[in-house]
Amino acid sequence: MSHTALLDKENLIPFLQHVCRQQRVVAPVKNLYGDTLFCVIDDPTMVEIDLVNQPQNSIKSFLFPQIETLSHYRLERNAETGHCDYQFTATQPEPVPTLYFAVRSCDMNAVAYFDTIFNPKTGADPYYQQRRQGATFITLACNQPAAVNCFCDKTQTGPFLSQGFDVQLTDIGESYYAVTGEHNPSNRTNLLMQFSSFFHTVTAADEQKHEQVLQQTQPLFGLDVDVEHCVEVLKTSTPSASLLKQLAVRCQGCAGCAFVCPTCSCFTISDQRLSEQHGERVRRWDACTFSGFTQMAGHHNPVDGESQRMTKRFLHKLKHDVALYDQVSCVGCGRCVDMCFGGVDIVRFIRGVCAQEGDNQVDDQRN
Amino acid sequence: MTANLYVPKQAVISEIVEENSTVNTYQLTLIDDSAAQPLATMKAGQFVMLSVPHCGEAPLSLSALPSAQCSKFSLTVRKSGQLTDALHQLSCGDTVGIRGPYGQPFDLDDMGVSPLFIAGGIGLAPLRPVIEYCTNHRDKFARVSLLYGCKSSTEFCFKHDFERWQCAGMGCHLTVDQQEQGWLGEVGLVTEQLTANNIAQHDQFYICGPGVMIRFVIERLEHFGVKREQIVTTLERHMKCGVGICGHCHLEEKLVCIDGPVFRGTDLPKLTEL
Repeated sequence: MSHTALLDKENLIPFLQHVCRQQRVVAPVKNLYGDTLFCVIDDPTMVEIDLVNQPQNSIKSFLFPQIETLSHYRLERNAETGHCDYQFTATQPEPVPTLYFAVRSCDMNAVAYFDTIFNPKTGADPYYQQRRQGATFITLACNQPAAVNCFCDKTQTGPFLSQGFDVQLTDIGESYYAVTGEHNPSNRTNLLMQFSSFFHTVTAADEQKHEQVLQQTQPLFGLDVDVEHCVEVLKTSTPSASLLKQLAVRCQGCAGCAFVCPTCSCFTISDQRLSEQHGERVRRWDACTFSGFTQMAGHHNPVDGESQRMTKRFLHKLKHDVALYDQVSCVGCGRCVDMCFGGVDIVRFIRGVCAQEGDNQVDDQRN
Repeated sequence: MTANLYVPKQAVISEIVEENSTVNTYQLTLIDDSAAQPLATMKAGQFVMLSVPHCGEAPLSLSALPSAQCSKFSLTVRKSGQLTDALHQLSCGDTVGIRGPYGQPFDLDDMGVSPLFIAGGIGLAPLRPVIEYCTNHRDKFARVSLLYGCKSSTEFCFKHDFERWQCAGMGCHLTVDQQEQGWLGEVGLVTEQLTANNIAQHDQFYICGPGVMIRFVIERLEHFGVKREQIVTTLERHMKCGVGICGHCHLEEKLVCIDGPVFRGTDLPKLTEL
């Protein structure tokens, strides 16, 4: 059962100050250069919490760091056996209780996707698991989207959430309407009760305002991108070669799209030699748009060329994950659209697929 | 707390067999007996992640399984990159890291009665434990044959096994791409050796080799009326985790590391992507 409460805007900073004393808080902060980024805050009075603009990063890097050491290894001559021991020691992170504040619906859906990806049937990723365990999420409904390229209404990932959060805030004017998540499996924190001094009871008038906000939000998402139609087209057709060529020729293979994407989770693992006798095994974000991503020993590459790599990325999100999870793995945050200076973004791909279908130019290469 | 799945166990190289100028078979023994438990679960067709000091990890198919009598297992490795070059520098007694076993194995309870193994180059390595199973349980099968092709006669792996397999009643047909002096076997690609006659003598087809070979062999088999249900193959892909997370081995909706590497023909994606 979910609970509701009201957080007056004047109580927001005192509330965060209070939380900061108890645990790590990650919140969107506008920096000196005018960029809004999720970062760790120690004192909310010393930074500018930005609840208007979409943060340029998602919270991905806090749960799955761009670079992390998985283990250390050591090589030592064993006098007894004469063999050289090759011993690994894991460097698992300690769980750090963290409140993620003002996470947008799209980014919260991305965390739900990560929960699946990092917990395959073979066993959970212990590094992700450790960070995820200590996480609490206060999400912020996007009832006044400031980003021009986002489309969570088309990917069914927002602007309001129905599950997955601990508390969802909705801006209803002077206050935030707060609701607790119904399906919080851990049920470890009923934040509204824990911090009850900062919240007060919702009145009938507040409920009415909240309802109005829900109704008024949908028309604010104006980006014309028919995700549903594209998914249907891709179920039976392959994207035309001309569309792929048009996009591939502009892809610089920089992986900016994958790195800002809250659902791109691919990584590589490599060893860093620190001396003859020891080193560390490091995991880094990787991207399927890099030319070496699928290259095997002997230089054989089953996914060769920009066009194939780019197609792989788009089809993974719009076709293959739909087959697996019945849901696209693009959450519609629009960051890749903002990021790509070549315009090789998912919105352009979706529009291209829909347009080619409309023009009856689809390659009918069914399998 | 369960063991960290990214941390390798130590294994000592107990024997090295030189298969050809670039391929060696490494017999390995896990150092820690308590770590040897997964050995009991190693199955034909599965792979392990092999660590070589300072060189990271690579996925390698098991070319010999441990048994109740012998806890050693083998990996057959071609020298073809930084990690495998470094491995080829190691000697008996040196230590490597092992994670696994991973992936879907061959289903030994559903092999038909007359399997034909079709291999190219080092592709015989993952098929070898299945062949060993067939030759050890010969009474379960009618006709068992191997069609094995390499560029030249010097490249054949597991040469010492052929005679033993033949003695156990398996037909071994070796072919080289081009005629060479003193060669008494077949000449031509494995696809060319697949005729209506020899295909008709078998009811299950096990294929492993380069992607392009797998693709053309399947096309050839289908041309002669073989159904996808009768085809089993094992695929190779770049992998970093081996456990279905890193994303490197995505093949349409499949992850080769956990949905494969052994695939039924019916579960294979488009042949052009092999």
